[in-house]
Amino acid sequence: MYTQFLGNYLLQKGLVTQEQLFAAMARLSQSHIKLGTIAIHEGLMTANEVDECLYVQTREDKRFGEIAIERGYLEASQVDELLSKQTPEFLLLGQNLVDDGVFTYEELERVMFDYRNEAELYDLSLDVENEETIEAIISKFFLMAEMPRNDMNVMYLQLMFNSLIRFIGEDFSPLTPMVIDEFPITFGVSQSISSDREFLTHIDCDRETAIAFASRYAKEDFNEFNEYIVAALEDFLNLHNGLFMVNVSNLATKDLSLSPPEITEDGILCGSNKCVDFPVAYPFGTVHLIVCF
Amino acid sequence: MDITNKKILVCDDSVLARKQLLDAVKEIAEGGTFIEGKNGIDAVELYKSEKPDLVFLDIVMPEKDGTTALAEIKEFDSEAVIIIVSSVGTQDQLKKAIQLGAKDFIQKPFEKNQIREIIELRLGGK
Repeated sequence: MYTQFLGNYLLQKGLVTQEQLFAAMARLSQSHIKLGTIAIHEGLMTANEVDECLYVQTREDKRFGEIAIERGYLEASQVDELLSKQTPEFLLLGQNLVDDGVFTYEELERVMFDYRNEAELYDLSLDVENEETIEAIISKFFLMAEMPRNDMNVMYLQLMFNSLIRFIGEDFSPLTPMVIDEFPITFGVSQSISSDREFLTHIDCDRETAIAFASRYAKEDFNEFNEYIVAALEDFLNLHNGLFMVNVSNLATKDLSLSPPEITEDGILCGSNKCVDFPVAYPFGTVHLIVCF
Repeated sequence: MDITNKKILVCDDSVLARKQLLDAVKEIAEGGTFIEGKNGIDAVELYKSEKPDLVFLDIVMPEKDGTTALAEIKEFDSEAVIIIVSSVGTQDQLKKAIQLGAKDFIQKPFEKNQIREIIELRLGGK
């Protein structure tokens, strides 16, 4: 999930445009990490040193690792170690942005440094995502929305991002969340979970976005807005809420019940509780996940 | 696998979920009659009028939920073969469904293999 959060950070700071971000994200699965990128990330080389080696590489027919060793930037054993490292995806995202000319290696180094500081990602392990770190980042979303955070809310949002990755695709970026009093509905589906309090989630987007979202969810090629599109949105929400209930019930013996999803085509959404809009940008459009806690 | 002469009832409020389930069944088995319902009331009525050999039942549905429908169908026919397919796979729901006489519980999103196993076990005549 670090990749999606990095995307959010870059957009928020105005360091990339959505187009640049999506172009870089779209190639994640086909990209391979370069030794230079990973060496910067590991703090073994500076961006300038990497640029220098890359320049030399255009003149001499040698591998990047060989050049870095020749110039005394890396030891042979370090090269082996770097090559055997698992690549975290968010680093690939950064590298793709460099490849696209959006950043230089030097800018990437600074961006990564700032991001890690801001997100308080101190022990950024390369291969495993740390549960506490993820929770900390999710908590920041509540902070941004000026919402009090509690374990249940954090768990809900974390699972929502996971559900999006799992059922729709990883190429999204969460945008800045906002507390809303009233939300004009474009088109969407709602579902509520009741326990000691009501918990309403609404997915809202325009019809074109809904068609693309549904196509990905159902793994089918829908091209017109019909009942299957609506059903796919409902199913996604229902699936996600179902998973949430399973998680909650594993933790505590809370009696939760899930209502059937409902379609809302127009009007204004206003819940009895505070509603937060967590917009999520996909290349095919922006989906508003509105949760009334 | 040939399931001609077998009737399968699928009850789910989502037209997509019904389609995906039926597609999965049709991939495995040939023939067969399929009946669709979209809530618990449909489930009970269609069961009584059609006497299907196998029922796939969702839990979270409008009008009447799957758990209530399950109990009513079981009361009508204690031999009914009902499989719950639900996104809410909590231990409580599972226990309740099995206590009420469901033969199996599949958590959504289902795997095609799970559907294959059910069809082979319940309609395979082995």
